[in-house]
Amino acid sequence: MTGASYVVKRLVAAVLVLLTIAALTFLVFHLLPNDVSQASCGKPCTAERREVVRHFLGYDQPVLVQLGEFLRGIVAGRSYGTAAATVHCSAPCFGYSFRLNEPVTSLIGERFGITASIALGAAVIWSVVGVGTGVLAALRRGTWVDRVAMGSTVVGVSTPTYLVGLVGIYVFGFKLNVLPVGTFVPFREDPVGWAWHLVLPWVVLAVASAAVYTRMTRSQMLDVLEENYVRTARAKGLSERQVVLRHALRNALLPVVTLFGLDLGGLLGGAVITEKIFSMQGVGALLVDSVGNLDLPVVLGVTLFSAFLIVLANLVVDLAYSRLDPRVSRSG
Amino acid sequence: MNRTLRALVATAALALTTTACNANSPQESSSSGFHKGGTLTIYSSADEQSFDPAKSQSLAITSQGLVHRRLTTWDIRPGQEPRVVPDLATDTGRASDGGRTWTYTLKPGLKFSDGSPITSADIKYGLERSFAPELSGGLGYHKTLLVGGDKYTGPYDGKELSSVETPDDRTIVFKLGTAYGDWPWIASMPAFAPVPKSADTKPATYGNDPVASGPYEVKSSKPGTAVTLVRNPEWSRETDEIRTGGPDTVVFKLSQEDTVAAQQLIADSGDAKNAFGAGFVPPAQLKQITSNPGAKARLALSKPGALQYLALNNRRPGLKDVRVRRAIEYAVDKRAFQLATGGSQGGEIASTLITPGIPGRQDYDLYPADETGDVAKAKSLLAAAGAENLQLTLVTANDTGSVAKAEAIQQGLQRAGITVKIEPKDVNVYYDAITDDKGDYDLTVGSWQPDFPSANGNISPLFASNQIGGGNFNLSRYSVPQVDALIARATGEVDPSVAQRTWAQADRRIMQDAPVVPLLYARNAFLRGSGVQNFDVSGFPNYPNYLRVSISK
Repeated sequence: MTGASYVVKRLVAAVLVLLTIAALTFLVFHLLPNDVSQASCGKPCTAERREVVRHFLGYDQPVLVQLGEFLRGIVAGRSYGTAAATVHCSAPCFGYSFRLNEPVTSLIGERFGITASIALGAAVIWSVVGVGTGVLAALRRGTWVDRVAMGSTVVGVSTPTYLVGLVGIYVFGFKLNVLPVGTFVPFREDPVGWAWHLVLPWVVLAVASAAVYTRMTRSQMLDVLEENYVRTARAKGLSERQVVLRHALRNALLPVVTLFGLDLGGLLGGAVITEKIFSMQGVGALLVDSVGNLDLPVVLGVTLFSAFLIVLANLVVDLAYSRLDPRVSRSG
Repeated sequence: MNRTLRALVATAALALTTTACNANSPQESSSSGFHKGGTLTIYSSADEQSFDPAKSQSLAITSQGLVHRRLTTWDIRPGQEPRVVPDLATDTGRASDGGRTWTYTLKPGLKFSDGSPITSADIKYGLERSFAPELSGGLGYHKTLLVGGDKYTGPYDGKELSSVETPDDRTIVFKLGTAYGDWPWIASMPAFAPVPKSADTKPATYGNDPVASGPYEVKSSKPGTAVTLVRNPEWSRETDEIRTGGPDTVVFKLSQEDTVAAQQLIADSGDAKNAFGAGFVPPAQLKQITSNPGAKARLALSKPGALQYLALNNRRPGLKDVRVRRAIEYAVDKRAFQLATGGSQGGEIASTLITPGIPGRQDYDLYPADETGDVAKAKSLLAAAGAENLQLTLVTANDTGSVAKAEAIQQGLQRAGITVKIEPKDVNVYYDAITDDKGDYDLTVGSWQPDFPSANGNISPLFASNQIGGGNFNLSRYSVPQVDALIARATGEVDPSVAQRTWAQADRRIMQDAPVVPLLYARNAFLRGSGVQNFDVSGFPNYPNYLRVSISK
């Protein structure tokens, strides 16, 4: 198989995955035993008025028709409402939230900056700390450095993010009062303030992942250090630094990079718990609020967006892999 | 002084100290009046704060009231009964045609924030908008009361609602299908705020930048982040006896996690100093606050308010017999329920249906028993009804607090030999399950805070036959023609004192049938920063009165 046809095949598969997710989300939402129009009807609500609202929201249509309308909106855009009250949602329209009075696309656009800020910073911390500690632990195998590092990872992996978050807020935000809590400062307004307000969420989110990366890097490094080519490199008289960085680490990191791509893709789709704890309205918090408010267009839009990022990350990782290891595309 | 007496005196002294520390104690301004200026911050867990009056369920004394005036509004002051008072109108409404027609005259010289005059047509248009499906979601009591309201779908297709007449710029007349004595309260709801037709070019986003009639206008609105209000230069205190317009700026900080917001208020630094939380203080932090004198002084614990009750589904075979329902009145352990709600800070034991603080309410107890119940009496009533080994299902929301309350009910009834199976459900599913047409449950714990300070707001939604199913809240599915007739009589009564007596009579009449067990009158706890003044939650509706809050110098 050529490289180009491999890419095409993966892209088609990605589109099919997204379509399946859209259909499943629609279905799951409609199978829920609650009435979406009830939440939008007001108080008190009569049966007749609920019908009017349901009709307006389009929820009186069969699920497949609704799904078709939704997909058509992505390609061609669509309008909601009548006469003066019409709202237009231009293509690619991922729905319109009447609760927040905005097209889902712009909602995600507004919130993505927050999620990306949290996710990217955390990713830098966890990868640097995780990989660094993992390498160190592997090189110092069996020493106290290794034991402390491994002991910490057990704590890191097993402590829930929300607990780390709340303890972090309590200790650094309120008890010591050294870090700000509950406010997001956009990067373009104040880069220093942006970073300063994000320190705590970054660290909280990085704790669990850094532990995972430490363990993975350590075990990969230990495997690679046993390999013949490392022995050969040493035998050729290369310095330990060159052996570790150029030969061992490079190969040990391959599976770590794969995991990183997927983790980052998932996180960009919404760092749900971290965003909620720190009162930062990223994509994850938007999803949680929308589920609670039965705001189907937003639930659907965010789910698809998150899925898209994961599929994209998967694709990038696979393509990168196929470049690094040509056997992947040949066999795939 | 003997030991018991000493303990009593100590308790009384403690109670007095607590009251004195409590932010409930009116801090009604010094002789100079309310301090003007400063920025008030309000922490809200909601991710949006729209100022579209058509879509709002906001109480007259909270957020919407800062931006929009209505025909009438509420006068809520420490230590006084709630009153309906004129807002944009000169009076609270003049009834004719036996309570079917209500006429209002607007005060002279009223202006919108853009300088244009407020006319009766603006109020009619604002009200008509609330019927549009695009803008539904608000308080809609008027929709079924106004003639033709059940069919009307808003002004956007060019149709008007003919039961709202505007013979001149300052007069507006409402024609109702039935007599309705509480219409002055209905006219205080958000949908009765004026909206100029010319400004309603993008109805869906009108709430982000509405034309204001109250002391503030919206400066900026970012869903999920913040909404900032600044002074409306056209608002005049001279025509507004309710709003004090204290702070220069009001900022709603949105999407705030309740626990973190409370923690910021406890710390009382930065903008939290001039802030309060719109949500209740989380129970876990109530303890932390009460052990911290600085924070405790800023805690406002309301008086007993919203009714929490056990609804007994009257349509279910096991609960049709009134003797069984009366047995449950005695079997319930109200003290255990109170403990599950947070003890005395969570609420006060209840025995009647009308919320404390509502004019005309009468206190009585048809099923007198110890707070833990009277199991022997319950058993004898069950035996008389031949209802041994009664098995009931109790549906509840699946959060920890609701399940704990359900368990308190379960354990109480178990003592009388009634087996209760608890069915926890996701919160949205739960609300659907208890308000749908099927009513597939025996028991559920409900909570009710009236939308306006009249017993009508308590009794009608919970006990009128036409409020069963269809998303409505007659959770006990109680349907008794005599009670419906009584409700109709009280509803149509234009004289408030006569209406109040009739509502009190209805309360007692309903309790004779024991369709629900009143459990608690819940208390709400709010926290403010040290710079916030005139922060009061002492009476109905047990929420802070945003319209009177100011910032100290």
